[in-house]
Amino acid sequence: MTTVDLWIALPLMLLAVGALLTLLVGAVTRNETVTTAIGVTVTLGAACWLLQTPPAAVAPTLGLSAAGLPRLFSVFFTLLAAGVLCLSTGYNRGRDIHGEEYPATVLFATFGMLALASATNLMTLFLGLEAMSFGFYILVAIDLKRATSGETGLKYLLPGALSTAFLAFGIALLYCVSGTLSIQGAVQFGLADGRPDPVALAGWGCLLVGVAFKLSLAPAHLWTPDVYQGAPAPVVAFLSGGSKAAAILLLLLLLPRAVDASLLRAPLWGLALLSMLVGNLAALLQNRVRRMMAYSSIAQMGYVVVALLSGTGGGYQAAAFYAMAYGVISLAAFGAISVLERQGCGETLDDYRGLGHSRPFASGVLALALFALAGIPPTVGFTGKFLIFTAAVRSGEITLAVCGILLAAISVYYYLRVVIALYGKHPGTADSSRPTLPEYLVLIVASAAIILPGLWPNELILLLSHLLP
Amino acid sequence: MIEIPFLTLLLFLPLAGAVLLLAMTTRERLAKATALTIALAETVLACSAWFSRGDTPSPGYFLFVDSPWIETLGIRFTAGMDGISLLLVILTAIVTTIAMLVSWRSITERVALHFLLILAMESGIMGVFLSLDLFLFYLFWELMLIPMFFLIGIWGHDRNVYSAVKFFLYTMVGSLLMLLAIIGIYLIHGEQSGVYSFGLAALTGTSFSPATGFWLYGAFLLAFAVKFPLVPLHTWLPDAHTDAPTAGSVILAGLLLKTGAYGLIRFGYPLFPDAARTLTPLLIGVAVAGILYASWIAFAQKDMKRLVAYSSIGHMGFVALGIGAWTPVALSGAVLQMVNHGLTTTALFALVGMLDERAHTRRIEDYGGLWNKIPLFSAFFVLFFMASAGLPGLNNFVGEFLILTGSFKGAHLATVLAFIGVVLPLVYTVRLIQEVLFQEERRPLLLADVSPRELSILAFLAIADLYIGMHPAPLLEILKAPVAVLTGGAP
Repeated sequence: MTTVDLWIALPLMLLAVGALLTLLVGAVTRNETVTTAIGVTVTLGAACWLLQTPPAAVAPTLGLSAAGLPRLFSVFFTLLAAGVLCLSTGYNRGRDIHGEEYPATVLFATFGMLALASATNLMTLFLGLEAMSFGFYILVAIDLKRATSGETGLKYLLPGALSTAFLAFGIALLYCVSGTLSIQGAVQFGLADGRPDPVALAGWGCLLVGVAFKLSLAPAHLWTPDVYQGAPAPVVAFLSGGSKAAAILLLLLLLPRAVDASLLRAPLWGLALLSMLVGNLAALLQNRVRRMMAYSSIAQMGYVVVALLSGTGGGYQAAAFYAMAYGVISLAAFGAISVLERQGCGETLDDYRGLGHSRPFASGVLALALFALAGIPPTVGFTGKFLIFTAAVRSGEITLAVCGILLAAISVYYYLRVVIALYGKHPGTADSSRPTLPEYLVLIVASAAIILPGLWPNELILLLSHLLP
Repeated sequence: MIEIPFLTLLLFLPLAGAVLLLAMTTRERLAKATALTIALAETVLACSAWFSRGDTPSPGYFLFVDSPWIETLGIRFTAGMDGISLLLVILTAIVTTIAMLVSWRSITERVALHFLLILAMESGIMGVFLSLDLFLFYLFWELMLIPMFFLIGIWGHDRNVYSAVKFFLYTMVGSLLMLLAIIGIYLIHGEQSGVYSFGLAALTGTSFSPATGFWLYGAFLLAFAVKFPLVPLHTWLPDAHTDAPTAGSVILAGLLLKTGAYGLIRFGYPLFPDAARTLTPLLIGVAVAGILYASWIAFAQKDMKRLVAYSSIGHMGFVALGIGAWTPVALSGAVLQMVNHGLTTTALFALVGMLDERAHTRRIEDYGGLWNKIPLFSAFFVLFFMASAGLPGLNNFVGEFLILTGSFKGAHLATVLAFIGVVLPLVYTVRLIQEVLFQEERRPLLLADVSPRELSILAFLAIADLYIGMHPAPLLEILKAPVAVLTGGAP
C-alpha cells in the first residue's frame, strides 16, 4: 500500500474508525449528544478530506478511485449523512430511540456508499452496496418501541436480500464472460456490435433487477410505501436521498463504460414508463403524507431512468444532477416531516392541515421541497427535470418525454394537496414548540441547496459535463 | 458603483420587496405600507419608461438588457421593452397597486403574506411581458402562477381549494407541454445552426417540417389558450374568480389573462408563422365561439362575480379574434383591448368586491335600489359596466372597433358573428344595472357609499377609461412600430 492508496482510502477509514469510536464512546458514556457529535465531525471531516484530494488519483491495489464523479458523490453522501445525523438527535429523543448504535450504523452505511462510489472493481462495488444495505436494514427497524418497526424492517430485508442475490449473480455472470472483475473490463465485454453474448445479457438483466429494487422502480417498488411509512423520518431522508443516489451512481459507473448500452434500452424504457405511471397515479390516492412521498419517489426515479436511457445526449449528466437534486429535496422534505412529527403531527393529510400557521418554518421548508418535487422553478427539481427532458428529446425519446411531462402535470395535484393543507383553514392550535438549532441549520442549508443551484446551475452542469462526457 | 440596468430593476424591485416583507410578518401595518410604497415606486418606474423612451420609437426595443446566465445551455438573461411590452408593463404596475388598495381592509388574516404574494406575482408578470429568452419566459410564467395559487387557496372563499387546484392544474398541463415544445425548438434550432440558444431573436426563423411545426405550435397555443381562456378551456376561470379574494380576481382578470394573448403575439406567431397560419381558422373559430357563448352564459348568472368572469371570457375572445386576423389594425386593437379590458375589469371586480365587503353577498337578487342609497358608487357602477359593454366614448369601444375593422377583410363571417357579441353584453349589462341599481330594495342592507380610498381607485380608473376612450392616439402611436414589425413578417 502506497501513500496515494492511503490518501484515497482515508475518508473510508475515517468513517469506519469513526463508527467504531462511536460504539466505544457509547459504551463509556450514554450521552447521545456526544456520539452524534462524533458522527457529524467524522462525516464533515471526510467531506473536507475528499474536497482537497487531488483528482483522478487511483489506488489500484485497493480497487478504489478518486476520480471526479466518485469524489463528487462521496462529498454529497458525507454531507447528507451529516445532515441526517443532525436531524436525528431531536427526532430520536422524541421517539425514545436511544443508543450509540444509531450514529454508528449511519456511519457504516455512509462507509458503504463511499466504497461503492469509489469502486473500480465489481467486488468492491458489491461490498460497498452490501455495507450500505446492511446499514439500512438496521436503521429502518431501529425504532424498537414501535410495534410496526419489525414489520417494516422485514419488508425491507427480505426483498433486499433477494435483490442482493440478483446483483451478486449478475456480477458473477459478467465475470464469467469477461474474466475480469474490473468495472472497466467487465462491462465492455459481451454487448458489442449487434451480437450480444447471452450470458453477458443475463448478467446485465440480473444487475438491472437488483438496481431496480434499490431504486424502487416499478414493478420492484412494493417495499417502498411500507418502509417510508414505518421507518424513522431521518432514516427515510437518508434512504431516499442517499441509497437511491448510490444506486443511480452504480448505474452511472457501469452504463457509460458499456460499449453499446442500446441493448438495455427496452428494459429501461419499460421500467421508466411503468415507474412514472405507477408512482404518479398511486400517489394521487394516498391519504398519508409519507406514503404519498413514497409513491412520489417511485415516480421521480422513473424520471431518472428516462435520463439514464437518454445516455450520451446529456442523459447521464441529467441523471447525476437529478440524483443529487433529489437527495437534497428528500433531506429537506423528510427533515421537515421529522421536525413536524417530533412536534406531535400525525401521519394523515388532515393532521397537516393548518401547520403553515402554527409551525411556519418547517411547513415552509416542506412546501418548498414539494414545489421542487413538482418541478416548479426556480428549484433544482425544475432544473433537473428540464435537463432530463432536454436529454430525452435530444435522444429521440419523444413518447417517453410526453408521457413523463403529462404525468408530471398530474403529479402537481398531489404535491399541492399537501401544500394547500398546510396553508389552508385550520382549527387554530397555536404552538410554541420550535425546531432545535441543528434542525434549523440542516433545513436552511437544504433549502438553500434547493434554490441556489436551481437559479445558477451553470457550474454544476459544467462540472458534470466534464465528468460524464 | 455597479450600474443596475433599468429593466433589471423593473423586473426585480417587486421581488426584492417581497423578500423584504418576509421580515415583517408580525408587523402588518408596516408590511402593508411597505408593499404599497414598492408598488407605487414600480408604477413610477414603469411610467418613467413611457416618458424616457425617446421621440422616435425605433422598430426594435427601446430598452434592452442581455447578460449571460446559464451559458452551458445557451440560456441568457435577455429582456427587452417595445411598445407592446411598455403598455402592458404600465398596466401591470397600475393594476397591482390597485389590487393592493382594494384589499387594504378586507384582508385581516396573514396580511404581510398576502401583500408579499402580490409583489412576487408582479415580478412574475413583469417578467412575462419583458422576457426575450424562452427559458426566462417560462421561469417567469411559472413564477406568476404560484402566488395566485396561494391567493385563491388561502384567502379565497367557498370552494377555494378546489378552485385553486383546478386553476393550477389547467395551467400546469398547458405550460409543461409548452416547456417540452420550448426544448424541441431549442434542439431543432441547435441542430440546424450549431448554436444552442433559447433567445427569441435567434430562434425566430428556425424552419420546421410542417408536422413538427404544427405540434410545437400546438403546445404553445394550448398553454396560451388556457390562460386566455379560450372556450372550451375556460372552465377554470369562473371558479377561480368566484372563489378568489378581490385582489386575486383583479390580478387574475386584469393581468394573468393578458399573458396568454401576449405570449401568442410575442412568441407563438413569430416563432411558427406557418403553423400559426394553418391553425388561424381554429383560433378565430374558438374566439368567436367564446364571444357568443360567454355572453350567453353571462346572462344566466346569479352571482355578480361570475357574471363579470364570463364577460371577461367574451372580451378576451375579441382579443383572440384580433390576433387571429393578424393585420396591423386588428393587432393594435387587440393589444389596446388587452389594456382596456385590464382597466375595466379591474374596476368591475373592485366594485363587486366593495359590495361584497359591505353586504357579504354577491347575489344579484339580494340587491336593489342602490341608486338612491349610494349614488356615487352607483354612478361608477354604471360607468364601468357601460364601458365594459362597449359604449362609444369609453375605452372598450375603441379596442373592439379596431379589432372588428381589422378582421373584417380576412374573416367576414367571424367578424359578423362577433358583431353580435358586441350587442349581447349590452343586454346582460343593462339587466344587471336595472336589477342592482334601480329595482326596489329587496333586502334591507346597510350600505355606506365609497370611502376616499375607494373613490381614488375608481376615479383614477374612470379617468383612464375616459381618456383612452376619447383619445387613444398616443397609445396607438406607440403600438405602431412593434405591430408593423410583427405583421410585416407573418401572415
